[in-house]
Amino acid sequence: MTPDGGSDPLEGLGRFRTEIEDIDRRLVALLADRVALGKKTAEMKRAAGLPILDPQREAEVIRRAVTAARERDLPPERIREIFWHIVGLSRTVQESGA
Amino acid sequence: MIIITRPDITDAELDHIRERIEAVGLHTHLSRGEKRTIIGCIGDESLLQELPLRSIPGVENVLAVLKPYKLASREFSVNRSIVRVGASAAIGGQELVVIAGPCSVENRGMLRETADAVRGSGARILRGGAFKPRSSPYSFQGLGREALALLADVRAEYGLPVVTEVLDTRDVDLVAEHADMLQVGARNMQNYALLSELGRVQRPVLLKRGLSATISELLMAAEYIMAHGNRQVVLCERGIRTFERATRNTLDVSAIPVLQRETHLPVIVDPSHAGGDAALVAPLAFAAIAAGADGLIVEVHPSPEDALSDGDQSLDIPAFDALMQRLPAFAAAAGRALTLDGTTALAGAAVA
Repeated sequence: MTPDGGSDPLEGLGRFRTEIEDIDRRLVALLADRVALGKKTAEMKRAAGLPILDPQREAEVIRRAVTAARERDLPPERIREIFWHIVGLSRTVQESGA
Repeated sequence: MIIITRPDITDAELDHIRERIEAVGLHTHLSRGEKRTIIGCIGDESLLQELPLRSIPGVENVLAVLKPYKLASREFSVNRSIVRVGASAAIGGQELVVIAGPCSVENRGMLRETADAVRGSGARILRGGAFKPRSSPYSFQGLGREALALLADVRAEYGLPVVTEVLDTRDVDLVAEHADMLQVGARNMQNYALLSELGRVQRPVLLKRGLSATISELLMAAEYIMAHGNRQVVLCERGIRTFERATRNTLDVSAIPVLQRETHLPVIVDPSHAGGDAALVAPLAFAAIAAGADGLIVEVHPSPEDALSDGDQSLDIPAFDALMQRLPAFAAAAGRALTLDGTTALAGAAVA
């Protein structure tokens, strides 16, 4: 028996995989949205003469992500790593001004 | 710089300390032990001068790490690192790990024969070269992609995790798909482009010491991989170049205890390349275990005289089995264990 009650275990596996693929697509779409917003804030920072790199703000982003991860029982150190990559992605896009 | 925290520190206090450090532009690395936790600070430490680190709640002590390597240094980690390879092997624990197999993968038959034999003798990981960095451009260069596919097949058939060398940054993803552990050869130890790429993939790395590299340079090479995000590094002493010509290289036995003093990373020894002579493999293997090595990597070929590469230093199957039979006594004398029958293989190991 599959967890979702189907009789063919492989059928259940296929369904989960489709769902995972869908989540991955949404993750990438969300990352694209995040990068787009990052670009807009970079333009604003440039206009205001502020530096692009803001370590304090980045540290806050990481801390919030880790707190949320703990609430959802995800391993906080791994979530940290992932969020440093996400922050790094935004930063390179902002710095390149592309 | 490392920050040692109070034993009763809360998650919120830990987060706060790390946020303060990260807010000035450094990165933090956490190492948790049973009694204490260490926060390692990575980056431009002069930025920390303005921070009143000792007065942040939860901080017990702040120490400078004077070594050029940080993530690899012993101080950065509360415990020794254990590097898991595939589903069934772990290097750096109480149990020693022997990696064995042919210098290069020549064909399916010899690879299967070797895998079956070395597994039966107690090896936990199969080695096999696909891409070979030969000193001469006219020597056999390895089967490349074809060998990777053979390694992956034999891994599935015999349940042995596989380690193979990666030579080129362009091949890192391809090799990572086929192998459980990626090897950096001695000649590539300071190929920083390759080390950076290996930092990106989440596969353990076997880093061999360069022929003329100091221990510090070896640790800086490991630091390169770790700084790029991959902390699963195993170091390998394989002999260094000295004035002595009676052996191919000189096994630097003292590197083993020195490395274990300097780093939390596991250290294994390659007695095959160190001596370059099958007759020297056993005595050098004994010496390595006696000096505290976490494992061995040994070249084994079903018919060394027909080997396409490094036949002189390869053990045949009976010689490897004889060597394995003698190792548990040396392991026990060094306060370690080596079981040959697979009973201590990790739970859930997929041994066919």
